[in-house]
Amino acid sequence: MIAVVAILAARLWHLQLIQGEAYVDMSRSNRMKLIRLTPSRGRILDAAGRVLADNSPGFTLGVVRGELSNPQAVIDTCAPIVGVPPERMRRLIDQSRSVARFLTYPIKKNVTLEEVSLIRAQTTDLKGVTLEVSPRRVHPFGQSLCHVLGTLGEISPEELSRSAQIGYRGGDLIGKSGLEKEYEPYLRGVDGWERIEIDAMGNQLGSRGRKPPEQGADLVLTTDVQLQQFVEDVFVHEAGSVVAVDPDTGRILALVSNPGFDLNLFSPAISQRQWKSLNSDPLNPLENRAIRGLYSPGSAFKIVTTSAALAERSIKPDQTFTCKGELELKGQSFRCWNPYGHGKIALRRAIIESCDIYFYELGLKLGGDVIARSASLFGLGKPTGLGLPDELPGLIPTSAWKLRTHAEPWKDGETVNLSIGQGYLVATPVQMAMMTAAIANGGKLLKPAIVQQIRAADGRIVFDHAPVLRWKVPLDDADLTFLRNAMLGVVSEGRGTGKRCRIRGIQVAGKTGTSQVIRQRQKLTDEAEMPYHERPHAIFVAFVDSMPKKIALVVVVEHGGSGGKVAAPIARKIICKYYGVPDPGDPEE
Amino acid sequence: MDRLTIPLHRSERHLVPLVGFEWSMILISLTLAGIGLVAVFSATVASGQPGRSLVLRQVTWCSMGLVLMAASLLFDYDVLRRWAGWLYVAVVGALIAAWVVGKIAGGSQRWLEIGFMRFQPSEFAKLALVVILARYFADRGGRGNPEPRELILPILLTALPVGLVLVQPDLGTAGVMLLISLSMIAFAGVGRRALWWGAAVTVGIGVLIFLVGDHLMMEYQKKRLMTFLNPGDDPLGAGYHILQSQIAIGSGGVLGKGFLQGTQNQLMFLPVKHTDFVFSILAEEWGFIGCIAVLGLYLALFLCGLGVVGKARDRFGALTAFGCTVMLFWHVTVNVGMVMGLLPVVGVPLSFLSYGGSSLLAAFLAVAIMVNISMRRFSY
Repeated sequence: MIAVVAILAARLWHLQLIQGEAYVDMSRSNRMKLIRLTPSRGRILDAAGRVLADNSPGFTLGVVRGELSNPQAVIDTCAPIVGVPPERMRRLIDQSRSVARFLTYPIKKNVTLEEVSLIRAQTTDLKGVTLEVSPRRVHPFGQSLCHVLGTLGEISPEELSRSAQIGYRGGDLIGKSGLEKEYEPYLRGVDGWERIEIDAMGNQLGSRGRKPPEQGADLVLTTDVQLQQFVEDVFVHEAGSVVAVDPDTGRILALVSNPGFDLNLFSPAISQRQWKSLNSDPLNPLENRAIRGLYSPGSAFKIVTTSAALAERSIKPDQTFTCKGELELKGQSFRCWNPYGHGKIALRRAIIESCDIYFYELGLKLGGDVIARSASLFGLGKPTGLGLPDELPGLIPTSAWKLRTHAEPWKDGETVNLSIGQGYLVATPVQMAMMTAAIANGGKLLKPAIVQQIRAADGRIVFDHAPVLRWKVPLDDADLTFLRNAMLGVVSEGRGTGKRCRIRGIQVAGKTGTSQVIRQRQKLTDEAEMPYHERPHAIFVAFVDSMPKKIALVVVVEHGGSGGKVAAPIARKIICKYYGVPDPGDPEE
Repeated sequence: MDRLTIPLHRSERHLVPLVGFEWSMILISLTLAGIGLVAVFSATVASGQPGRSLVLRQVTWCSMGLVLMAASLLFDYDVLRRWAGWLYVAVVGALIAAWVVGKIAGGSQRWLEIGFMRFQPSEFAKLALVVILARYFADRGGRGNPEPRELILPILLTALPVGLVLVQPDLGTAGVMLLISLSMIAFAGVGRRALWWGAAVTVGIGVLIFLVGDHLMMEYQKKRLMTFLNPGDDPLGAGYHILQSQIAIGSGGVLGKGFLQGTQNQLMFLPVKHTDFVFSILAEEWGFIGCIAVLGLYLALFLCGLGVVGKARDRFGALTAFGCTVMLFWHVTVNVGMVMGLLPVVGVPLSFLSYGGSSLLAAFLAVAIMVNISMRRFSY
């Protein structure tokens, strides 16, 4: 027994006298509390400096279990004020056991200032109730630019495991979509810390060093929220997208994806119910159609087919084909939108009147892969690099692609479909906008940009946008002039399919597209009688290059019907607003 | 304490208790209980009102322990020998009751509730085990080395409460019971052959427990056993207890940080500190000096206990006194070894110091029994 006690004493000697110093250090570091100082997140501003995403103090009601002497009283007073059911509050307080007893456990986030003062007034004699201030994101313009700005959310375990070493902690807010996600490292800022010594009773004795946090940088967008809101208001259709760019710089002037959602729903956290309803909506309001919506460009693609023909010099613009309203190809019949046919027609008129047969013939002459190459030169088939997360590339079908994915050779019928922008070909609205901009700016394919500037908290400009030329489309000036004139004719001429975009005093160039969503039109039915999901998408691309400030835009109305009837008027209203002229309305038939 | 060897006259019998009274044991146990109160106060002061009520409760248990001790001195300890069987049946019944009540309440539990009191039958089971083993070996008499088969009954007598405690599940108490029983068997003068048998059976049971351990041991117990091997592995997980405890002890140094000044203690870095880890608080706030003093008190108590063994009037008394001494001894060894990282964290209270009524009462009773044996050594 003496021996055993001696062993214990020896161990005690070892711990307290020999290793004592080391343990003293460890206990001292135990009582140094490292407090993290979180930076406030950078704001997002529009081109005119209006704040689109800001921070405002949000209050979080919490409890400190070690100080909580009367949980029932806390539940009785606080539950009715913040509107949490008492049972749920009791559960949350019970769960607070999972954290150390001197730490705050959050009970309800986003408590209003009113509730805060009520709680303050009624819990003066209750211990263990805390109200902590934490910034929350506010969006003064609510739904405007929702897909571009994106949402914040609590960091997920996977994100945490990836980014814990760069200073993220559980419960942190992190950009989940849009610019908030893409520019997270800039917006977030850098954590600071403060080392605080506490005595045996837990009182703070003083600071032992402090590094202030670096506030997040502000993003300034290329978009003016006034134009953006106008476009959002004008786009009354259920689903679709509008992208307007400055063709000389690639700056996005407006970017709309309908339907949208109110960003403030996500701040500080979206409720389960709201998330479910947004997520299960068949129209998918959370999806940014401008960069992720895949549409056949339809006849708007005839710009590309024409470019291919002009660049290849395979035809002269005065080459004619005869449209009888139908083309027989190996037993299959391909129709023109005009069942009566356009007769003998040349390229310019074929563009203006959007004759399908002309382009079928032209396409067959060129071959599918030549058209496909032209399409990729216009930036289709690859993400544009706008700087928003998860942009889709779209698809340009080629004979190699067909063989690879379908194990079948390319067929002439597919060339016919491709020549009018149908079939496998899909592109995003932002790709179509940049394609249009390339015609407007003299053949330059630019990288679109939504962020004009990144401004650090100290005023330093971290990033300033300059136009990025991806490449030049191989068209000479004569080809471009021809194409531009044909597109001007689409709007200005009486038989032009885009005449609903005519504005007195402004030369608008455009091209309509009515893209079929079902394989082949069985018979020409009135679009209003068709079921919604079988109606074609209405597409209109347009640009104005004759004014000091230019604009190129695309309007896509999902299942809207005819591009000329539905999409062109929207483009007209946007252009009128952009140039500040009154909207002349649809021209009389 | 004079050693009177002159037989007393019948009329002088009433004087006997005072002659052989072990004042020192009483004094040591009261001192230890007092130190325990101070430590429990320090451990719980930071949690405010609920902490204060814990100290008050411990004071109540202390007073009850004193009354119980005084009362138990009034009877000759021979009562224990006569009632050993019934005592054993009673605690086993209580253990089963705790198990059944626990099952009904959902989950298992260690305590039984009688009126306003809650007690852990397992703490008293140790005493009952000591008494019944003492009686068994006393009845056998001192003749030679017993046959291995003579050990079957003591092993069964031990296995029953140990099994019942294991299902609670309380690995620490079960282990201490096993240690008590083995010590007593060894002390009862069994031969080498029997000891071998005993060792073989123990190893067999150990292997069995190890094999079915997956089912018997709770997740936390497995974790604790694993992290005992390397506490640094998982400093915030299962190794947390032991690491924080070692920091507390180590940072106490020679003189300690002073009463209520232990940062590990007051800032709640130490878990279950007023029960199983009370020694860490003592070490942090009173340092090496304080710890050595407490260990010294314990050693003195053990030596007094062994003294009682030597001077008991009969074999039952000697065996019982030995059992009580080893009970306290193993508690102190396992607990102090555990908080210092020498033994796995199994959850054994430190007799007299840890918060907890049953443990305190059992410790006082053990001392009372030894005092009883000592003071009646001349009354035949």
